[in-house]
Amino acid sequence: MMFPAEITQLAAAPWLPLHFVPAANLVGILPILIVGGGAVMVLLADLLVPRRGNLVLPVATAIVLVGALGTAAGQWAVHASNPVVFNGAYAEDRFALFADFVILITALAVVALSPGYLRRRGMEEGEYYILLLASVTGMLVLTGALNLIVVFLGIELLSIPLYVLAGFARDEPLPQEAAMKYLLLGGFASGFLVYGMALIYGETGHTGLVAIHHVLTTTAVSQQFDPMLLAGIALLAVGLSFKVSAAPFHWWTPDVYQGSPALVTTFMSVATKVAAFAVFLRLFSATLAPYRAEWQVPIAVVAIISMVFGNVVALAQTSVKRLLAYSGIAQAGYVMIGLAVGRPDGTEASLYYLAGYAFMNTGAFAVITILSRRGEDCDRYSQLSGLGRRQPVLAGLMAIFMLSLAGFPLTVGFFGKFFLFSAAIHDGQLPLAIWGILTSAVSLFYYLRVILIMFSGMPQTASDEEIQVAGVSVGGAAVAAPESAVAVGVPAGLVVVLAGAGTLVLGIFPALIYTLLQGITVVHG
Amino acid sequence: MSGMFPGFLILSAALFAIGAVGVLVRRNPLVVFMSIELMLNAANLALITYARYTDTMAGQIFALFVIAVAASEVVVGLALITGVYRSGRRLDLDELSEMSE
Repeated sequence: MMFPAEITQLAAAPWLPLHFVPAANLVGILPILIVGGGAVMVLLADLLVPRRGNLVLPVATAIVLVGALGTAAGQWAVHASNPVVFNGAYAEDRFALFADFVILITALAVVALSPGYLRRRGMEEGEYYILLLASVTGMLVLTGALNLIVVFLGIELLSIPLYVLAGFARDEPLPQEAAMKYLLLGGFASGFLVYGMALIYGETGHTGLVAIHHVLTTTAVSQQFDPMLLAGIALLAVGLSFKVSAAPFHWWTPDVYQGSPALVTTFMSVATKVAAFAVFLRLFSATLAPYRAEWQVPIAVVAIISMVFGNVVALAQTSVKRLLAYSGIAQAGYVMIGLAVGRPDGTEASLYYLAGYAFMNTGAFAVITILSRRGEDCDRYSQLSGLGRRQPVLAGLMAIFMLSLAGFPLTVGFFGKFFLFSAAIHDGQLPLAIWGILTSAVSLFYYLRVILIMFSGMPQTASDEEIQVAGVSVGGAAVAAPESAVAVGVPAGLVVVLAGAGTLVLGIFPALIYTLLQGITVVHG
Repeated sequence: MSGMFPGFLILSAALFAIGAVGVLVRRNPLVVFMSIELMLNAANLALITYARYTDTMAGQIFALFVIAVAASEVVVGLALITGVYRSGRRLDLDELSEMSE
């Protein structure tokens, strides 16, 4: 067998370690280096500082994330003419940078909420921050990945720490269960993903996305019917649909979201979805664009199933975490509208929706984390009743997040959906827009129900059903206790208020983000 | 590349199918986990076969990465499964479902 040219050259060249990695490459992946290196630093710091109740690790983690955010902003401003580094394996283009911003800001919000939440739940461990940073590293790798191998590594680097984080409250039964389900179904999805990648590699002879795109557009491969390549694309789509929790590949989502500690769920539901959608958009709207005619309809069908299923099943829930899990499935369906459209305006609309989703979903989950107590998250409807009286500001902000998730005007959710639906209509995909509008109307019922429960004056007596769900803590006691339990810390309060402000400001001035998106460049391929 | 269809790819597809069915029908998390490994190794076989037929290195390199990632997944997975076992619960996915449908 013959070796490719670069390998033979490498073997012939004198050993020059200093020139092995040109500096431009390292600068190109600076945010990844900062977060990855930061994870190692925090790991070392964890050995040196006493465990309980100090803020060294969260502050160090926050500094790492701010550093990465600053570098990413710098790269955005410089806007390198050729952002492709490492021989076409990675691109720090504006598309990747935009997703990086959303991921890093979400991670920062999660870190700000962490010390208080971990103390309340009794799981203060340094490993939490290390795993968080490791997962963020994987997400940053994923957003700019330009090679199937890098895509795979990014997905695994983001997933494996999350499996551990899901089961972080390791003495409780629900997190254990959530972690195991996440691991098994995540691994299952990875199997599909790798096999799909193997088939695509086999049919095109390349793992680099640019090269694959080139082969698909130029050679005869694109003209003839190629079942292996189509199977590869299908398996890839299945694997990625798992990761973004689109129906019918969503089985893990409700249990994992409900069982994991609320703060981990926050991170999982927002940052993971943004990273996975970034690579989904790049692979399908750019690399596999020549095969658009083949994948467009299946993707649109998955989008419709997700919107219908997520919104209808959410109606029947009695836990806010579970409600947000099903609403997350529905939201994945909305973002997939942009994917099915496939053109630049679809990609822009998807990214806009994801950015808005980061604000509203982080905010909604942040409220749940603030209400949590030792041993449990207070996410059942009965525990929220009367919140409007006990914590009017918190309940008001939660109402804003709920309205925004429903797509109410004057919130970011409205414009997110507006851009997606109009992109679908421009592309002539009217059914997508119609299903989107219909299911949004359905979603109003369950989002408004949460608001009604919070503001219905008297704390309700727990119904039979809720006692059954509550299991250990009896409904009545759980309702009576929170009067004294909730003390919102400064960082946590700041996160919720900023998320609320973002939801409203972007809902009134959508151009703030949309203009950023219009100059966006996706490295083609 | 289609056309020259060697047994290795058929074997790889068969292994993948066995793994996928195993994940869906078996209830012991350890066996499910083994089935997932089978799926990943089926993909490795496909990658290496394709590397041979396309005369490129990328498939072999990819397979090495898949092996490394599968190993780290095993570390985390076995730790989680051990944790469940030590909390005194039976290793059965049907019984490990306290959360409502």
